[in-house]
Amino acid sequence: MNALLAILFVLFPPDDNIKIKDAWMRPSSEKMATALYFVIENKSETADTLFLVDSDLAERVEIHETYSEGEMMGMRKVDFIVIEGQSSFELKPGAHHIMLMKLKKNINDGDKGEFMLHFKQAGEIKITATAKKQK
Amino acid sequence: MNKLFSILISVFLLLSISCREKLPLDKDLTKKNYNLINQEGEEVVFPDIIKGSITVMGFIYTHCPDICPMTTHNMYLTEKELKKANINDVKFVALSFDPDRDSPEVLKKFAEVRELDFNYWTLLTGEKSIVYELMKRFDVKAIRTDEITDSEGNYEYSMMHTDRISLIDENGRLRKNYKGSTINIEELVNDIKKLKD
Repeated sequence: MNALLAILFVLFPPDDNIKIKDAWMRPSSEKMATALYFVIENKSETADTLFLVDSDLAERVEIHETYSEGEMMGMRKVDFIVIEGQSSFELKPGAHHIMLMKLKKNINDGDKGEFMLHFKQAGEIKITATAKKQK
Repeated sequence: MNKLFSILISVFLLLSISCREKLPLDKDLTKKNYNLINQEGEEVVFPDIIKGSITVMGFIYTHCPDICPMTTHNMYLTEKELKKANINDVKFVALSFDPDRDSPEVLKKFAEVRELDFNYWTLLTGEKSIVYELMKRFDVKAIRTDEITDSEGNYEYSMMHTDRISLIDENGRLRKNYKGSTINIEELVNDIKKLKD
């Protein structure tokens, strides 16, 4: 099995054009919602697209954006985020974020959670985020 | 002597008026009582619970992952800044505009995860019509969006809402509104100091 993985690794090396930095999430409690934030760096010459995020932490995980209409603020689901070549994209409070709905357990300050990010070009990238009150 | 007394009274009144004019609003919130429920499940009356104290009031719903946690965190940071300035008598109130989901237990859990000190903080919910009537006094609006019923029959929704923190003086008068998620904490702390002058 290990030999097979090694062969696959040589034949299909993981894409290192996409780097994920500063992944963090807000503490929250079981059955509630929270948000995940991080910075995506695209070192490739071409654009890449984040279209899916998976996690065992929540029953539903979606890419969202925060928007405003006058004094009103809201959130809505978006299908993907495009990261242009040679650029970076920050998911941050008050803007794009990964929304975790119906958390399966409490997330306390300092807890860590794993997420799988799915990109059209770079494929799957596993990240670990730490819970912090706020950056 | 009478003339001197009149001058002193006039100066005092002018100073009082100029202090009040430092903040843009002066809306009396004490004309009507609102029966609500706090995070302990106790019946409370607004504005009785804030009478005699300067109050920072935020409007939130606990299923909100982004804006409302920012608003709550900004109130938390304001509390910390005030303590650094030896101001320990300001109250913090968070009113949920999602009373259907925000039960007292849910509000208490939301507060505990964020380490909010119930010596200073009260989280409020209540009957929807009363909550929305009170929100109207603050010109705060909230509407349901993205309503879905999943395959298991669970009804879910998000909310679009006014992004608001309000400052209320010790006489129960609304004095200033701020954008809750992006408020300048220094500005709010300075406004509280003006009210205490």
